[in-house]
Amino acid sequence: MIDPHLLLSGVIFGLSMGSVFFLMTLGLSLCFGLMRVISMDQLLYYAVGAYLTYTVSMAIGNVWLGILVGVLVSALVGFVIERLVFQRTYSREITFSMIISFGLLIGGIGIIKAVWGLVPRPVPVPIEAQWNILGTEVPVYRIVVVLIAVLVYAGIWAFLNKTIIGKAIRAGIEDVGHTEGLGINVSRLFTLTFILAGALSGLAGGLHAPLIMVFPDMGLEILAFAFMVVIIGGLGSIKGTFISAFLVGQVVSIGSLVYAPLAQMAPFAIMLLILLIKPTGLYGSAMLKR
Amino acid sequence: MNVLRWWSGLLVAFALLLLLRITLPLPFNNEIVIFAIYVIGCNFLLGRVGFISFGQPAYLAVGAYGTAFYLYYFGTNPFVGILVGVIAGIVVAAIVGPLFVRLRSDYFALVNLALAVIIFFMMQKMLATYTFGDNGLELLTKMDSTPIIDITRPEGFYVLAFVSAFGVWALYKYLDDSVFGACCLAAKVNEDKLRFLGYSNFGVRLMAFIVANTTTAFAGTLYAIHQGLVSPEMSSPARVADPVVVTILGGVGTLYGPLVGSVAFVGMKDLISKYIGHWELVVGVLLIFVMLAGERGIWGSLEPLLRRWVLRQREAEKPAVADAGVKAR
Repeated sequence: MIDPHLLLSGVIFGLSMGSVFFLMTLGLSLCFGLMRVISMDQLLYYAVGAYLTYTVSMAIGNVWLGILVGVLVSALVGFVIERLVFQRTYSREITFSMIISFGLLIGGIGIIKAVWGLVPRPVPVPIEAQWNILGTEVPVYRIVVVLIAVLVYAGIWAFLNKTIIGKAIRAGIEDVGHTEGLGINVSRLFTLTFILAGALSGLAGGLHAPLIMVFPDMGLEILAFAFMVVIIGGLGSIKGTFISAFLVGQVVSIGSLVYAPLAQMAPFAIMLLILLIKPTGLYGSAMLKR
Repeated sequence: MNVLRWWSGLLVAFALLLLLRITLPLPFNNEIVIFAIYVIGCNFLLGRVGFISFGQPAYLAVGAYGTAFYLYYFGTNPFVGILVGVIAGIVVAAIVGPLFVRLRSDYFALVNLALAVIIFFMMQKMLATYTFGDNGLELLTKMDSTPIIDITRPEGFYVLAFVSAFGVWALYKYLDDSVFGACCLAAKVNEDKLRFLGYSNFGVRLMAFIVANTTTAFAGTLYAIHQGLVSPEMSSPARVADPVVVTILGGVGTLYGPLVGSVAFVGMKDLISKYIGHWELVVGVLLIFVMLAGERGIWGSLEPLLRRWVLRQREAEKPAVADAGVKAR
């Protein structure tokens, strides 16, 4: 039997991992839902967000400001790449955008290596306090990360359901052709969604940076988990992403408590199981329109 | 005559490859040949079946580790090692195949990528007691030298690699011409019609998946013998794009694309990595550039020109023959 203190800190650890996975994969999911592209370069914005958090927090000393700069720069990079590259891929089949985005990811990692070097960099934890929950010391920062993720989920939900732009995005996810027919500028909607996705990935990187070391291949390291999350949840479904991100986070955390290599293997096994039952993931739509 | 024509393309291609052997150093040639075998599986999946696989390194590592485990722990004969590696490739492809080929092409790519990373973790951490983690398995001293052609030496190994590459290419040329190849193409273009014609969509895809990934595993066993060292680095996430890049660089779905792409890619790698330390940057930019420039690749652009040239030559010959006939009369 696992020690209850260990279990509690394991659950908190899993929740914070799940939050990072969720923020990370939300961009992937939104891009797939609306534009029908698999934007692997989200993992690049994740690394960019983390590196800027490192640089700014080293220069100014405030990690939160660093995260903010990371989010803004990731959004900007997302904007530029969408305009320069992705605009040319929307009319093509899905493999085309997948290959292009992978090229962006690999190329971007090369640039990161050239700018920041190969050495892993530490980022200070912005809140060092510990809370005492039921006799277990829990780092407050991890709880803050979870809260931010839940707030983002609520914010995205409100954005998609209450604002007119969000409603247009949802309509676009249903059927792009009809949305365009209503006189909505779909191209601008795509750009907006891509910026949002880039910002969210940057936020994931910035929040994750104090929990791990920042290193050039960090995007590739989290890649397997990010894809397992989107596959389990179903591509394009925000609710599915939310549920599967926390599921994978818990499986990674609790699994590693039981037997260390389970951290990587267990989510993979779950993914295979779910694909066996439902090839499109938990909440993925069966049909691929367009 | 027809038989000769069927073989002529292959013979010319491999004669050119031999020409490279004479002019360029041996390790470079070995690398090209193995890499070409590695890439043709990916090329077949992407060009003929319409599956994009970012997980080819997974099968490469399975083949390499099959050979490495056999040579390190059980036997000393490298040929048996190759056989074990290939069988390991078939087994793994047959296990994951039925699961994977049911998926849509986008899910297929992601799941394969996840598999590659999982195998990387598995070899690096989970099985570290057997694989020695990042240090890898050292095989060079474990292999017996073989009679007639010693494949543990680079010169002998080149003969083996060259002959097997020729065999693999003949196999894929045969597959392209066969009903099975046509079925694969149909599975890519219109699966409803394939089902209408009475073929099992699932069966065709599964077969293609196993053939392609067994070829990749075979390339992995060749890597193991060639380098004498097998480490998890082989399927590291940073390298998963290589086969896709070379497939596209050479020309998707073309028979000789992988050969041309490998020569170009390995050559560039050798030349550029002397000047730029960060090789990924070049790979990424190359990938984006080739895709946006029309995604036909080097051989994909050259082939139509070459074909037109050959046709023109034949047409130029024909009237000459006819004239000769008239004169003789």
